[in-house]
Amino acid sequence: MKTAEIHVTVNGVPYEKSVPCNQTLLRFLREDLFLTSVKEGCDEGECGACTVLLDGRPVNSCLVLAAELDGREVLTAEGLAEDGRLHPLQEAFIEAGAVQCGYCTPGMLISGIALLNLYPHPTREQIRKEMEGNICRCTGYTRIADAVLLAVEKMDTARAEARAAGLPEPEFRGIDGRFSEKWNSQYQS
Amino acid sequence: MIKQEKLRPCEKFQQEGREWDRLVVHRKDTTGDEAVVGHTQLRKDAVEKVTGTALYGADVNFPGQLYGALTRSPHPHARIKAVRVEKAKAVPGVRAVVTGADYPEPYGQFIADQPIIALDKVRYQGEPVAAVAAETEEAAREAAALVEVDYEPLPVVNTLEESMKNGTLIHEDWSRYDCSSVCFPVQGTNIGDQFHLKKGDVEKGFAEADLVVESSFRCGQLQHTLIETHTATAIANPYTQDIQVWTPNQSPFGIRGLMAKIFGVPAEKVRLTMTHIGGAFGGKYEAKCEPIAIALSLKSGGRPVKLTYDRHEEFEATVCRSTVQYYIKTGVKKDGTITAQQVTGYWDAGAYVTTNPRVDYNAGFAAHGPYKIPNAQVDTYVYMTNRTLGTAYRGFGVTEAATLHEHQMDIVARKLGMEPLAFRLHNCLHDGDEGITGEIISTCAVEECLRAAAKNVGWDKLPDRWVDEEGNLCGKGIACFNKLTGTPSTTSCVVKMNENGSLYIWSASREMGQGVTTTMPQFAAEALHMDLDRISVAPVDTTMTPYDKTTTSSRSTFHSGNAILEACEDIKRQLCRLAAVKWGCAPENVTYTAGGIIQSKKNPALAIPINEVGKSGIMHEQDPVLAIGRYGTSDIFDPPPVDGRQSKRPTVMWMIGAQAAVVKVNPVTGRVKVVKMGAAHDIGKAINPTGCLQQIEGAIVMGLGHALMEEMIYEEGILRNGNMVDYKVPTFMDSDVETKITLVENGHPEGPFGVKGIGEPGLVPTAAAIAGAVCHACNTDFDSIPIKPEHILFRKEAED
Repeated sequence: MKTAEIHVTVNGVPYEKSVPCNQTLLRFLREDLFLTSVKEGCDEGECGACTVLLDGRPVNSCLVLAAELDGREVLTAEGLAEDGRLHPLQEAFIEAGAVQCGYCTPGMLISGIALLNLYPHPTREQIRKEMEGNICRCTGYTRIADAVLLAVEKMDTARAEARAAGLPEPEFRGIDGRFSEKWNSQYQS
Repeated sequence: MIKQEKLRPCEKFQQEGREWDRLVVHRKDTTGDEAVVGHTQLRKDAVEKVTGTALYGADVNFPGQLYGALTRSPHPHARIKAVRVEKAKAVPGVRAVVTGADYPEPYGQFIADQPIIALDKVRYQGEPVAAVAAETEEAAREAAALVEVDYEPLPVVNTLEESMKNGTLIHEDWSRYDCSSVCFPVQGTNIGDQFHLKKGDVEKGFAEADLVVESSFRCGQLQHTLIETHTATAIANPYTQDIQVWTPNQSPFGIRGLMAKIFGVPAEKVRLTMTHIGGAFGGKYEAKCEPIAIALSLKSGGRPVKLTYDRHEEFEATVCRSTVQYYIKTGVKKDGTITAQQVTGYWDAGAYVTTNPRVDYNAGFAAHGPYKIPNAQVDTYVYMTNRTLGTAYRGFGVTEAATLHEHQMDIVARKLGMEPLAFRLHNCLHDGDEGITGEIISTCAVEECLRAAAKNVGWDKLPDRWVDEEGNLCGKGIACFNKLTGTPSTTSCVVKMNENGSLYIWSASREMGQGVTTTMPQFAAEALHMDLDRISVAPVDTTMTPYDKTTTSSRSTFHSGNAILEACEDIKRQLCRLAAVKWGCAPENVTYTAGGIIQSKKNPALAIPINEVGKSGIMHEQDPVLAIGRYGTSDIFDPPPVDGRQSKRPTVMWMIGAQAAVVKVNPVTGRVKVVKMGAAHDIGKAINPTGCLQQIEGAIVMGLGHALMEEMIYEEGILRNGNMVDYKVPTFMDSDVETKITLVENGHPEGPFGVKGIGEPGLVPTAAAIAGAVCHACNTDFDSIPIKPEHILFRKEAED
């Protein structure tokens, strides 16, 4: 099998790797980097359990080849918590009761991050539409939408508090103006 | 360590088209103002799950691990003439090949009819015919494809109707198999099991009736579609016969027993280490990957072997919910009083019996619903076909039974000219009535549930059917049910105090998303008045964890809760004894107060709050604090005899509930939208209210798929839609259902704090309520689910 040399940043960590040309991003993340939050559910792009952010855009990692990663950035659920503190979206999933068996949860979180880049203040209809590619068998989905709305509130509050205190606005992993602008223009064109 | 401010449950979204309330009917061992029980607690497993650190089946890896792959039969029914593995063995990296000849003894929980790998014949498409372990997944799959099998195709039994002709037999000789006392195959037929219940005399009841109504109902074949597919990783030592398996299974001790039998080793040699479960719903109750991974590990000198099914294998060759064809006949007086009802049913159980006897049994007791029926009969048969294997699916057949009896209730009500809810209320069971086994019914709040479910959709203000301003056909439907929990069954737990005063609960009740690792600590926290944060559930491993029957049948909170409460009483006694040693007094002079304080009766200054027991020094070099709790239902069980199944106590706990649905149907596209769902379930006592709501909300969307979308389509034994594109499960886009849920609390006399079960109930009436609403909207007796757009477009409206 031919291999490709890639320089890739995953959850903020740079890697130099040689990957077989037929290896999927899903298997690269799980087997080479041991990022097992990335779940295999169908291996054909239907269930969304393996969703990761690739340059700010949600992809089914089972449908992307690792060889395509050179020079790119990947974010998985492992990369959401920072300095021992959960991401507001992770907190919101817990508080809103959006987690049951938890198998779809990492992919849902990543799709939620992608949604918030597209629509910083989404409506329930936008949440349903943008997160439709992630299947959940336990929750009935509504509490996941609750969690996204709660996260928006948490981030807005944190920003407002920072502004009021004259501090720079806090940043949240994955919520990234660079990517959202790029993705928005592609998405809408 | 997460540097995290404390997270709190968020309930602010409960107003936006989604509400819940609580209806207290009867309190048992609860004042309603407990500190921990009855209040929403955040799930203890949530941080692990949102950070992606929770380890599921396929996340477990070992150095030197091999990968398994299977050669599967392309034929649904064929004789195996020869299996040649030479080419497969020659693939570089292959370390073991196993065929049916290696393990010729069949296994099975109720009847040993199934080989772990097919031996002389294959009975369904995708049945394993050989297994390979190799250094890489690619090598394993390549080798599996190179196994050569000579098949002689046999006539395919594709449908229930073909199976019932008994022209082609799936199992030629049932008598060859080791059969348990609770499975009833019929020699020379495709009948793998049967169930017969008889109360009174239905013929007499029909003769007394003013009206006799007959109808039929069919529920399609469903796949659980767990997002985590089946997987197991085994290390099996061929010299010592020590077997260890890491698996996301919901029945650790059931699987341990089966593995011991298959591999001819004593049970204690089999160690099952449980991972997180990515969805179960009954689908992870059977042994699937476990025995094959073990066989491959044994054959490769004890190397670790991981076997994970892909999505196509999951559809074709794991388990499903059987098709069932039901017939029902009801005799009724003009005033709406039922005089007799008879149910006959035929399950299409697929190629092997598996758990179908249990499905048949549970559905049999629920086939008439929670109604007063003086003369009742049930005759159901489990037929074998060349399809994938039927098993439990969140309710053990009771969902299908509810769909049947509620469809019939609507038809009978219409023929009588009675309002559907009024007809149900006229016939529903109350405490003191006789159930269909002759049992005197108690703790039965079906009327309260029906009324609350109806109120939750504004039932009284809605007509049966109407047309909205956009021209949609609208309708409402209501359904109620009763489901028993498997009885007898036993459980046990060990509650262990750590040196710092925190607690571990050792229990084999498996966390599979239903929240049992949160509710079990809640019981202990309440009993001991201890901080919930200091109590956790230990990982489950059959070498260490005490016995529990299975995590099925909505039994965990009820059974484990009782065991934990018993253990906690002992913990209190042990702590008082240790305090007495420290204080140099007699143990009877120390008491454990309701507020969780170990208190000297003589000297008020001598007191240790439970949360400070670790610091108190009373445990230092003293007897460790370790308590056992047990709970079982053998003593209360009155075994229902095979002829007629009459019993004064067929189950320790009946679950009762009702749901009402409002739908709108687009007459042009045939598309159905579920607008509202009102639910009311008698949960006895909501231990973790959000946990109860999660179960019901999730089940509503799951049941919506069963009513309107999901169906496995077979042609000549070949599955035509075995993937997530062609087999549709509900997505986020289907979740826009206005819901209102009432948690009815009618305390169970034997439940801890009065609790009953809620894992399965939410699903049971969902499809029935939706189907009823669609029937009303379209003025059509749709006699099967799923009701798809084509059924709606080509419907024939009811005449009456």
